[in-house]
Amino acid sequence: MDADCASLLPGVCAVLAASGRSLPDDTSLEKLLDWFTGLTEAGGSLLEACPCLLEFISTVVLNTAVDPGVLSFALRLTGLMAATEDGYEKLQERSVLDQVFQLQRWREAGLWEDPCLRIGWILGLRSMLQHPKALCFFVQSDFIDPLLQLQTDASLFVASAANQMLAHILLFFQPVPSLGCNGVDKKEEDDDDGTKRASAAYAAALAAISGYLKESLVPKKYTALRQSLQILKLLALLLAAAGPPLCDGLLQTAGDPLEDLVAAGCSQLTLPLMDVLLAACSSSGFNQRVPDQRVGRLLSSMLDVNEPADLLHAAAAFLRRGHHSDVVNTTRAVRILLLPLHIVTGQTLLGTNATADGRRSSAVEQLKCKTSCISMTCVTLTNAPRIALLPLGVLPCAPDLIVTAVLSLLRICSGVSSSSPPGCGEVCRNVIGSGKVQKCALEALTALDGSPGATEKTSEVFTVLMQYLENPDSDPTVLHKSYQAFVKWTGVCTDLSFVTDQLRLDLVELVRRRACDMRWEVRDSTVEFLGQLAGLRASAATTEGTASDALLGARCTTPLLKEALQDAESYVRASAVSALAKSLTHGWQQGAAPSEDEKEIVSRLLEILSQDTEGFPRRAVVQYFASWFSSSASPSSAPLLMRCARSVLSQGSADLDWEVKVHTLELAQLLLDEAFSGHRGYRKVSDAPHPRAAVSELTRAPRASPEGAESDLAAAVELGVVAALLSGLVDCDRPVGLRACRLLMALRDAVCPPGPPDATAAVATVSCELPGGGGWGEEIRKTLGVESGEGGARVSVCEALRSLGLDERLDVLTRSSDHVHNSPLSLLQDILTASAAHTRADTQPGEEVIVDCY
Amino acid sequence: MKLYCLSGHPTLPCNVLKFKSTTIMLDCGLDTTSVLNFLPLPLVHSPRLSKLPSWVSKDGTINLEKELKECAGRVFVDSQPEFCLPERELLDLSTVDVILVSNYHCMMALPYITEHTGFTGTVYATEPTLQIGRLLMEELVTFMERVPKAQSATCWKNKEIQRMLPGPLKDAVDVWTWKRSYSMQEVNSALSKVQLVGYSQKVELFGAVQVSPLSSGYSLGSSNWIIQSHHEKVSYVSGSSLLTTHPQPMDQSSLKNSDVLILTGLTQMPTANPDGMLGEFCSNLAMTIRAGGNVLVPCYSSGVIYDLLECLYQFIDNANLGTTPFYFISPVANSSLEFSQIFAEWLCHNKQSKVYLPEPPFPHAELIQTNKLKHYSSIHGDFSSEFRQPCVVFTGHPSLRFGDVVHFMELWGKSSLNTIIFTEPDFSYLDALAPYQPLAMKCVYCPIDTRLNFHQVSKLLKEVQPLHVVCPEQYTQPPQSQAHRSDLMLELHPPPMPYRRCSVLNLPFRRRYERVYILPELANSLVPSEIKPGVSLATVSAVLHSKDNKHTLQRLHAIPNVPKKRKRVPEEPPVLLGPKPLLSGAVPLEAFLATLQKHGITEVKVEETADGHILHLQAEDTLIQLEEDGTHIVCDNNEPLRTTLRDLVLRFLQRL
Repeated sequence: MDADCASLLPGVCAVLAASGRSLPDDTSLEKLLDWFTGLTEAGGSLLEACPCLLEFISTVVLNTAVDPGVLSFALRLTGLMAATEDGYEKLQERSVLDQVFQLQRWREAGLWEDPCLRIGWILGLRSMLQHPKALCFFVQSDFIDPLLQLQTDASLFVASAANQMLAHILLFFQPVPSLGCNGVDKKEEDDDDGTKRASAAYAAALAAISGYLKESLVPKKYTALRQSLQILKLLALLLAAAGPPLCDGLLQTAGDPLEDLVAAGCSQLTLPLMDVLLAACSSSGFNQRVPDQRVGRLLSSMLDVNEPADLLHAAAAFLRRGHHSDVVNTTRAVRILLLPLHIVTGQTLLGTNATADGRRSSAVEQLKCKTSCISMTCVTLTNAPRIALLPLGVLPCAPDLIVTAVLSLLRICSGVSSSSPPGCGEVCRNVIGSGKVQKCALEALTALDGSPGATEKTSEVFTVLMQYLENPDSDPTVLHKSYQAFVKWTGVCTDLSFVTDQLRLDLVELVRRRACDMRWEVRDSTVEFLGQLAGLRASAATTEGTASDALLGARCTTPLLKEALQDAESYVRASAVSALAKSLTHGWQQGAAPSEDEKEIVSRLLEILSQDTEGFPRRAVVQYFASWFSSSASPSSAPLLMRCARSVLSQGSADLDWEVKVHTLELAQLLLDEAFSGHRGYRKVSDAPHPRAAVSELTRAPRASPEGAESDLAAAVELGVVAALLSGLVDCDRPVGLRACRLLMALRDAVCPPGPPDATAAVATVSCELPGGGGWGEEIRKTLGVESGEGGARVSVCEALRSLGLDERLDVLTRSSDHVHNSPLSLLQDILTASAAHTRADTQPGEEVIVDCY
Repeated sequence: MKLYCLSGHPTLPCNVLKFKSTTIMLDCGLDTTSVLNFLPLPLVHSPRLSKLPSWVSKDGTINLEKELKECAGRVFVDSQPEFCLPERELLDLSTVDVILVSNYHCMMALPYITEHTGFTGTVYATEPTLQIGRLLMEELVTFMERVPKAQSATCWKNKEIQRMLPGPLKDAVDVWTWKRSYSMQEVNSALSKVQLVGYSQKVELFGAVQVSPLSSGYSLGSSNWIIQSHHEKVSYVSGSSLLTTHPQPMDQSSLKNSDVLILTGLTQMPTANPDGMLGEFCSNLAMTIRAGGNVLVPCYSSGVIYDLLECLYQFIDNANLGTTPFYFISPVANSSLEFSQIFAEWLCHNKQSKVYLPEPPFPHAELIQTNKLKHYSSIHGDFSSEFRQPCVVFTGHPSLRFGDVVHFMELWGKSSLNTIIFTEPDFSYLDALAPYQPLAMKCVYCPIDTRLNFHQVSKLLKEVQPLHVVCPEQYTQPPQSQAHRSDLMLELHPPPMPYRRCSVLNLPFRRRYERVYILPELANSLVPSEIKPGVSLATVSAVLHSKDNKHTLQRLHAIPNVPKKRKRVPEEPPVLLGPKPLLSGAVPLEAFLATLQKHGITEVKVEETADGHILHLQAEDTLIQLEEDGTHIVCDNNEPLRTTLRDLVLRFLQRL
């Protein structure tokens, strides 16, 4: 803690103790605690650093008239100070702990009613319980019972904190040597008095908590459901992290009540119960032990409850946690999850004898209700991709049948299916036109692309997707998902030879029409789709052509994208720019000379950069050129690209949108990398948080001599790279300044490294122009101390790089912009100022308090 | 109560309701799908149409060279197109008292009914319905009269010959009743019988029933009707819409508590969502224009076109179509566009409030002002000199058999750059295009039907809960093409009563009550006696006087002289004797037995029955049946005993 803070702290304590009502805002106390926590964690002792805190606590806890928020703060602070044995003992010496955590006092003062105080009590104790002495204190003070009561507190925050605390006690102090030194281990060699006491305390705590679990897990009446729910959560927390002895003990204690709960089949407890059982399973799996047979049996019972919706959720939870070694239950869960799909689509996913399944009739009944039908179908669909990837042994059908079923469901949803399975007309009606099911099914289909045997289904998938894309009633999200599925499935095709002329014609017609859709979201997805297709290789085997050429023909995409550059919606224009970049990447990589079409596009893009009123398209344009540059085999030998780079740098760095400027700097970086990566000393700037931490990487063999540095630098100046960097450096947006600063440092290290000036004498002659007229040039000139001329000035680049104080700038820029306001000093000052203002306002009621909102 | 169904077309209904003493025709829609069997009427001589080969039967026996032409494998009648009228033989239409019109599409057969059946009643319709209906009729007449056809084909209608023709001509029904279009004079005469009504206005019909139109949300001035007496309510729901388009929203709550609800005019395109179709319309339009083609939109001159123009108004700038000309060609184009702007009170709230700004409620005014939309009465005249391509043309008739659209089909049909977009749901687009085959032009079918769909109507019926629903039979089963879609039909409990053309339905409810007025002086003379707390009764002897379906009870002496001209003279004057007293109450068994005993009747065997008791007086061999609503004394040949017993029973009863 620095001296400034230390000197202010007593004042702040006095203010807080006085009333605390005059705090600048309600997060002040939290910030103070954060600060103190930070100090403690750094190894400092709060008691030694600020003795005033102890005074503060002693005063405050005696004054029940103090704001409950401040009291809560004091409780938590006490816990923090007692977190070390040393601190704990000092506080005990002054009997502060008894005073602070004594429940009776708070109850009598009527303050216990305030949830704020209750949570302070829990969190304070939680902070303190880091050593056995604290545990002894806790147990001796009989705090277990009140804590157990708080587990079902009316305030959700209090209840949750209590649960966490209970778990902490049992887990942190559990007697397992392998879990570290926290454990209260009975077998420890130096079996001293303290350890015995701690063990006894732990045993007492465990006994109390176990007794409570056993007693209250099964709800006595419906209203006690919440208690059961909380206990289940606690159990899940415990089982997930407990070592074997604790785990076994807990399972033994909770076994009977758990069986009762499973047998009761209460809907609301299904999922928490599954969590507990699965946690129990994992913990035994984790320890490589034979899973408790009882747990296995209970899991089986859970996968056999009567309520179809609960059953489905239980099965989904089972599958999600991935206990696939349990073949019996996995098979069962899979059958449960596939049942709704089996019923709705009539596909024999579960084999032909599934109709005899007793569950079927109750599931059908449930599916007849629209809301549960939609929710059950969606659960099934969400899990379908996971199921399809399971080993064949646990699947009731071939994985490709799942794809078929999802396709069939999609057909039913859109109303095009010509038949519904016998007796399920009423069920099918519930999913016809349901956007939610459509979206879920499309997501499932997208994820099913990698399932075994999927490639056989590609043609059928495309037919269904085309139906969705053609359907005028498909909403924009459904269309978007259909496009995504299309791209994903195109990606897995080893060859696109199955694409018929008709499909090709239909697809071309479709994208043309969708590119003119009334809804911009649809136009946007279409343009994005065109870009993605163009970016996909048509065939994994050959490098010739793209999926877009194979599906849409060579002359479809570019005209549509060119048209989309003029779209009324800026998002669509931006997507069109990105899609164009994707569609042209292949040509750039081949080093083909730009076509007339491409030249036209480029001039249109530059127009967008200079004239578009929205930021998104302009950002996309800068990225377009960056991606052209980076995918080009030899960018510097592409005159059009270099010409464009010059305009983009000058326009992009003068843009009003900071993201455009950042992207412009990315282009500048590419240019620098291209020019200087051969130079010794040049380090590529990565996006690492600090330039010193950046991994340097020399991509090409360093040149033998720094010859050419001069010409490269001159070229960079000529292109406008240096101007862009300098203007970025003094930009008011921090990300821009930071990036520019790093790049300038990299440039400096490459062209004028510290050392004898004669080596860089030639480079020093390269100068750049600082424009006049009050812009960035003026700013740089001021920093450099160069006299301003009428029309600007020329400065030596090297000199500028050395004299700009880049390292200092970087330090300032890397700090967050609110670092000043977030400092502890500022916090303390704020509290004092607010208090002073408050006091003034109290004494002079007529005077207006002016709050400075920055 | 009976319902006579004169039309089989569910959206162009014509039903007659006999309710109390009134005969009410509900709508008189004209089924124009019959015109699809005819060759188009070109405005400008069409070499292609005139060169079509005549149809000859395979064996060569039938040769109606002048009447039937063949085009791409289909046979068309080369004659002035004819319409299928509502059934006129099912009942004497001259007895119809009033015709209630629900919207302008459902009144196109009016001149056939009012002018040629001896109809002498009144037609009720809202003002926009009348005005726009007049425009549509005027347009139809102009389309027909502009291209007169000398010959009228009738030979093909011969049953023997028709049987030999290929479908669909072979299957056309009642072809002899098909009629050519009416004349303007007939239109004027028919419309002169229209009396205007406003929403919720109550119109008394002969004192018997009250009719009242309610907003139905489908088109300008469109209405559903409530037909009610004091104790019965019949709702007539015709073309209604719950979508937010230009008309006033539908009034649903007034339909509550109906005894019978007659449901017609649901959407013809249950699977085509209007919003989706509108989107398709716009994207296809933009796609065609961008590729340098023209767009033809065959449509009616009023209705959905207003919404299309509004949608395009927002869309054209987005799609960079600002410079593309839009043409609206119809003999009534100008009036239609202007009428829509003046019926502010019939518009939805949004549009109504624009009038106070003041701004035109529909944005097509701005399109016209900025020259983006131009309207012409026909392709002749100014249009031909100002016509620029590529363009979008809205013109009629949607059947593609007459009107300016025929010209554009001939002009643009050969190029695959052009697109025809069908937006009206009334005609099958494949049938409409049949005489233009082979066709290179692209065809897009975006039927926009804003009327209620099955989902909406089920919800509506759940809310308004009518006792019985009557509907066209088409609504009681899924569409033929989508037999598995059980969601595309009405499922109600009790099931709806289906009707078809020429059905006569006995509506399933009995009238139980009638309101009768009692004159004050007669009321004064009554002496009520309380039979149980809060309920008093009095007997009334009076003369029931009925006039104009109003019934009044008058004092006996005040019988007016029966006018001589009335045909039915009461056969005998009312009997002036006082009425027999009415008895009420129950005979208590124990007390009655005690009384019998007092009168020396001791041997009584009591038997309990479902309704009361049977007393067997064994010595007298007599039975007394005491039941809840009657007492019988069975006593043979002992009149004194019977009288005694009767008097004993009467002691326990109250007389009125």
